[in-house]
Amino acid sequence: MIKRLMHSLVQTLILVIGITFLSFTLSYLSPGDPAEQMLKKGGMMVSEEALQKKREELGLDKPMLIQYGIWLKNLVKGDLGNSYKSRKAVAGELARTLPNTAALAGLSMLLVIVIATPVGILCAHDQNGVFDNIWRAVTYLFSSLPSFFVSLLFMYIFALRLKWLPVIGSNSWKGIIMPALVLSLTLSSWYIRQVRAIVLREMERGYLDGLRSRGIPQRRILFRHVLKNCMLPLVTLFGISLGNMMGGATIVESIFSWPGVGKLAVDSITARDYPMIQGYVVWMALIFLVINFLVDWSYRFLDPRVRREAA
Amino acid sequence: MKKKNKRKARRWLIFSLALLAVLFAVAFIGPSLIPHQPFKPNMRNALQPPSAEYLFGTDNLGRCVFCRVIAGASTSLFSALAVVGIVFAAGTVLGVAAGFTGGVLDHIIMKISLIFQAFPSFILAVAVAGILGNGLKNGIISLCAVYWVTYCRLARSLTVSLRDMPYIRAARICGAGKISILFKYVLPNVVAPVLVTAALDVGSVILSMAGLSFLGLGAVRPTAEWGAVMSEAKDYLQTAPWIIVFNGAALFVVVTIFNLFGDSLRDVLDTNAEI
Repeated sequence: MIKRLMHSLVQTLILVIGITFLSFTLSYLSPGDPAEQMLKKGGMMVSEEALQKKREELGLDKPMLIQYGIWLKNLVKGDLGNSYKSRKAVAGELARTLPNTAALAGLSMLLVIVIATPVGILCAHDQNGVFDNIWRAVTYLFSSLPSFFVSLLFMYIFALRLKWLPVIGSNSWKGIIMPALVLSLTLSSWYIRQVRAIVLREMERGYLDGLRSRGIPQRRILFRHVLKNCMLPLVTLFGISLGNMMGGATIVESIFSWPGVGKLAVDSITARDYPMIQGYVVWMALIFLVINFLVDWSYRFLDPRVRREAA
Repeated sequence: MKKKNKRKARRWLIFSLALLAVLFAVAFIGPSLIPHQPFKPNMRNALQPPSAEYLFGTDNLGRCVFCRVIAGASTSLFSALAVVGIVFAAGTVLGVAAGFTGGVLDHIIMKISLIFQAFPSFILAVAVAGILGNGLKNGIISLCAVYWVTYCRLARSLTVSLRDMPYIRAARICGAGKISILFKYVLPNVVAPVLVTAALDVGSVILSMAGLSFLGLGAVRPTAEWGAVMSEAKDYLQTAPWIIVFNGAALFVVVTIFNLFGDSLRDVLDTNAEI
């Protein structure tokens, strides 16, 4: 047990080092001189000596690996440097916008689960029937629709034409409705197909013949036995789709001006605000890692086999 | 039942191949046949709704939206095929190398791919493109950074499962060298499933590239790339929704065609390329 825990901890540690190193390398390669960015204000010229001094202060004259070490030490302390644009601390800006993204992702995920899980299960139950075929066509077409197209159509119909919802998302609670709808709709089409496939795969298992031969009705087999066994892959799906959602949020947030990390990232890219982009990538990857770690960990509660093995 | 499904899949494959042929014809011959100049502003005709002369209307600079949609097709097709081609080649080589040699090389390649996989995919693409700066080339690089992992891991797992097959062992006993086993017996059996994955991915690569361009990364002005055009046109959503509608519809149609092609190819070849 302890050996296994140590093993998974070491694996995670390697991943964390890899993630941070890759993120560091990205901005190490970025054009532009951080010292110059920090010193120049309002188009004022900076002297070469001042630049040199700042570079030494920031450790920019040291080899890459040492710079990475310094950066990593600061990251652990929660210091990701300051934004080029607003001069505020990167970590503070991320912490300020993250709750908005979490709310958006949470609401969208809730909608996805509420809409897609029952539809997927019913499609599997009605395999190749009318209901299944209609949904297959709908989800097939929907998966080819780019989320920004859906967003703009929604904005045109619900905000500009019908005037039900505000165009800009940041002013009231109503602003979360459209981004959440778009995110959940684009993810749902994928989710429905995955849920259907998971349930169908489970329904091919041998134990179903046994249940059927005992005269247990199909409906009861589905709800009592099959769904229980589908929980594990469904939880895995949940972990993967949260990653998709974090990616999708960048586009949707910036279209609807929802003040989350995604919008912050897109704004930073436009402004060439490299510390901000770097901070965003590291945070998102680490959050994604934690989510996946929790998903793995939840197997312990959901799967008696894993629990017994671990004990 | 199985046979019937296969025949149906073959029919879909032929149908989607025909659609693809039309698509490529439109993308590469179309630009020389269109009635208006797609890049020349004509302010007198700005923001006109669809009409007989301007099928899809005109944009804020009076350019024909129909002509621009056609002019933009080749950018999307070229960049998506470039990305898929690169990751297919690089992923297969790395994956087969890792799986075939095993040992330290295998460990290193797999760890690196795990690290890339640890990033939410679109966020990695946005970050790489954001650091490298906009431009189609950087967009292609950033999507390659995201997509190569799938191919590498798939090629590796196929190679590993083939490595201990009886026929490979037989070849080894008969004195076949490592190189000839690799090229004669392993590679041919790895390529087909990986190729199916590549065909299935083209649609999603087109969508991701358009997404990057929409965010101002990827293709830039004056290219008529659909995502970039839609990003520009969102300021005219109220007055000229047709720009968004027709560019979005073009994107939708192209992605659907590629998805149809990928799915029917998978069904015909009967490879369940799922990992």
